[in-house]
Amino acid sequence: MPNFSAGGIATPADAALMMQLGAEAVFVGSGIFKSSDPAKRAKAIVQATTHFKDPAVLVRVSEDLGEAMAGIETSKLAEKDLMQTRGW
Amino acid sequence: MATDVVRIGVLALQGDFDRHAKALARCGVEAVEVRKPEQLADVDGLIMPGGESTTLLKLMHEWGFVGALQQFHAEGRPLFGTCAGLILLARDVENPRQFALGLIDVGVERNAYGRQRESFETQGSVTLDGRATPVEMVFIRAPRIRRVGAGVETLARHGDEPVMARQGSVLVATFHPELTDDPTVHQYFCSMVVRAGARRGAGVPPCEASL
Repeated sequence: MPNFSAGGIATPADAALMMQLGAEAVFVGSGIFKSSDPAKRAKAIVQATTHFKDPAVLVRVSEDLGEAMAGIETSKLAEKDLMQTRGW
Repeated sequence: MATDVVRIGVLALQGDFDRHAKALARCGVEAVEVRKPEQLADVDGLIMPGGESTTLLKLMHEWGFVGALQQFHAEGRPLFGTCAGLILLARDVENPRQFALGLIDVGVERNAYGRQRESFETQGSVTLDGRATPVEMVFIRAPRIRRVGAGVETLARHGDEPVMARQGSVLVATFHPELTDDPTVHQYFCSMVVRAGARRGAGVPPCEASL
């Protein structure tokens, strides 16, 4: 059964970590599109997925990527954005 | 290079390299995942796996694999391409037209059976060293070999169409032998690598396949 890994991956290092943990594929959506330079970051994440065991490649592709997708601190979420208050 | 066992590379840029490596291990061969051209110096043959050929081409160009693979072939070291690997090794590619290494004189059409729902498995037969052997064939969004050049030997057909072929040191299949437990096709490639190594004087030891 293939391990197709996704969710919160925002850097080449994140993608490489998934592969090191045994993923066979890495899926990245908002981690690319909510970054400041999506094309460059997408390319870097592809390279990091292939060369996940090669620290020199990981360092090189991680340089000058601009801003990554910003994380959201749970305690600072507005009441209306909380999942547990949705529905009935 | 120390040659205690046969070392066969599997191009590991993208696609089904892991299953090929496991299939080689079942043949008693050391499988080496190849992600950079300089790693080709340490292997006696190379498998180019199935995957997505456009993605593979981008990564091959990015890392300078095109010239390195042409050199690898010129040195007489065998190559085996399955599915997308065949597309990369062919002379001509259609649907769409794209660059290929041109190391085997066949023309191929990508995704030629249709979409994923047209993927299928069937029981087929391959003719290796003059012997017909039954083999389970798994076709996944497979290409079709539309043209076979004069110097190319067809080793297997599905219906009337060639699905496995060889020209010199280059072997190709449109199906995925690495997805079955049957080692027949990988053993045949191992024996090609051993024989080519002997011709190069590289002292490649015999693998189980050639015994």
